[in-house]
Amino acid sequence: MIKLKVDHIRKTFSRNGEEQIVLEDVSFSVDEGRFVSILGPSGCGKTTLLSILAGFQRATGGSITLGDRKVSGPGPDRGFVFQNYALFPWMTVRENVMFPMKRQRIPKDQRERTFARLIGIAQLEGRENFYPKELSGGMKQRTAFIRALAGQPEILLMDEPMGAVDFQMRQKLQEELESLWLKERITVIMVTHDVDEAVYLSDRVIVLSARRGCIMDDSPIDLPRPRDRDDQHYEGHKARLSAQLRMAFRES
Amino acid sequence: MEKITNQIPKNISISAFLGEKESLRVRLLSQAVSLALFILLWRRMSLYYNNQLLLPTPGSTFTAFIGLFGDPEIWENLLLTLERVLKGFACALLIGAPIGLLMGSSKIAMYMFDPLLGCIRQVPLMAWIPLSIIWFGLGNGPTIFMIALAGIFAVVLNTVAGVRNISPDYYHAARSMGAGTWCIFLRVVLPCALPDILGGARLALGSGWMAVICAEFIATSAGFGFSMVEAQTRMETEKLLALMVLGALVGYTMDKCVCAIGNRLTRWK
Repeated sequence: MIKLKVDHIRKTFSRNGEEQIVLEDVSFSVDEGRFVSILGPSGCGKTTLLSILAGFQRATGGSITLGDRKVSGPGPDRGFVFQNYALFPWMTVRENVMFPMKRQRIPKDQRERTFARLIGIAQLEGRENFYPKELSGGMKQRTAFIRALAGQPEILLMDEPMGAVDFQMRQKLQEELESLWLKERITVIMVTHDVDEAVYLSDRVIVLSARRGCIMDDSPIDLPRPRDRDDQHYEGHKARLSAQLRMAFRES
Repeated sequence: MEKITNQIPKNISISAFLGEKESLRVRLLSQAVSLALFILLWRRMSLYYNNQLLLPTPGSTFTAFIGLFGDPEIWENLLLTLERVLKGFACALLIGAPIGLLMGSSKIAMYMFDPLLGCIRQVPLMAWIPLSIIWFGLGNGPTIFMIALAGIFAVVLNTVAGVRNISPDYYHAARSMGAGTWCIFLRVVLPCALPDILGGARLALGSGWMAVICAEFIATSAGFGFSMVEAQTRMETEKLLALMVLGALVGYTMDKCVCAIGNRLTRWK
């Protein structure tokens, strides 16, 4: 079943009276419960595309349909995980995770139940009253993830959620994120520039070209989970996407 | 006006080699040494000039300082002045913070207020005293006005900076979780700008304490500043110096109180 339909999205802005094209014409659709990555070199407009999906920016043309509704402006039906998590530093883990539920006036007992469940899957028991500055990178990421889930969105949008960490940590966070996702099975769209990350996490990878931001490639990753990074097929997907990415970069 | 933070940078060379206890000892020792040097220099100078009217010795100033504690008139005046400072400070905060929040969140408010405030700020503070006497007569009115005026710009400018430095991600995050404008203001803008508002409050209290003494020299016949003028006209220089020391200590204590309240309110930082 199609969850999200992106239809001829176009984004331009004018600089010194000259029209600059960020996204030429992007169309794709995503099935329910899928993990889809949007891969592209920096400056290809992938973050802009995600911002448009979230409603933080307006598209110049085209439309986005989530379920059976047209999307315009930000809303709790789309959860967002920011590159640097954007946890509210003045709120504890508990207050952060409760925030979206309170905004949607979910009754108190239901709120408490959801909170307990989410804290459980994120393995954050005992840290409920910590401030974000007291959390490790992994805990911050897990808090951001369950905060985005707490509002019961229909889809999760993630902007390079592993962007700010070193290589070792990155792999560990990817594994944590995958296990969280396997427990929740929500539709995810993740933006990344890291081929390994895309292959490790996604059911499907969409490659954006750097020039005029349009889709260069769109292919499934049909490997069993959890994935073995040393597997031959895994390496094969990586090699193919790396070549795509190099080509995407050369076009710019 | 520059922004101030409540943090004292750690001296790397000390904290790297010493434990917490030792570094505290080093700190107290260096503070004692600098104080002793200052008093020694003062004593040397006063002995050199040998004129109690011009520069009393630290010893006679200390005696006068102890004498202040037995003088009910001083305490009455000090309390009166403190009351004025707190009232003026409250005005600066209650008027300045909302203006700053408005200017930080709305471009139109910024266009409206910024040039006006920028000009008014350039009028030297003391130049307001004659006008404030015309407006408010003598006594509490002009002094409270002067304190509020001295502090309000620091509050406004710090608040504006605080609001403008809020990362757009926080707004986006709040919106995508279903927060409305009013909720974003209460739950995001206000707490996020609070450390800067408190920084402005600290500056405002400091300049208020300075402004009140000046205002009291001229525009009133009671208060701590008035006590100082009185000591001067009676040629009691050691009492004047003792009052200056007391003034410094009171100001320092108030500053520390605002810092402590601020740290308590922003434990998350």
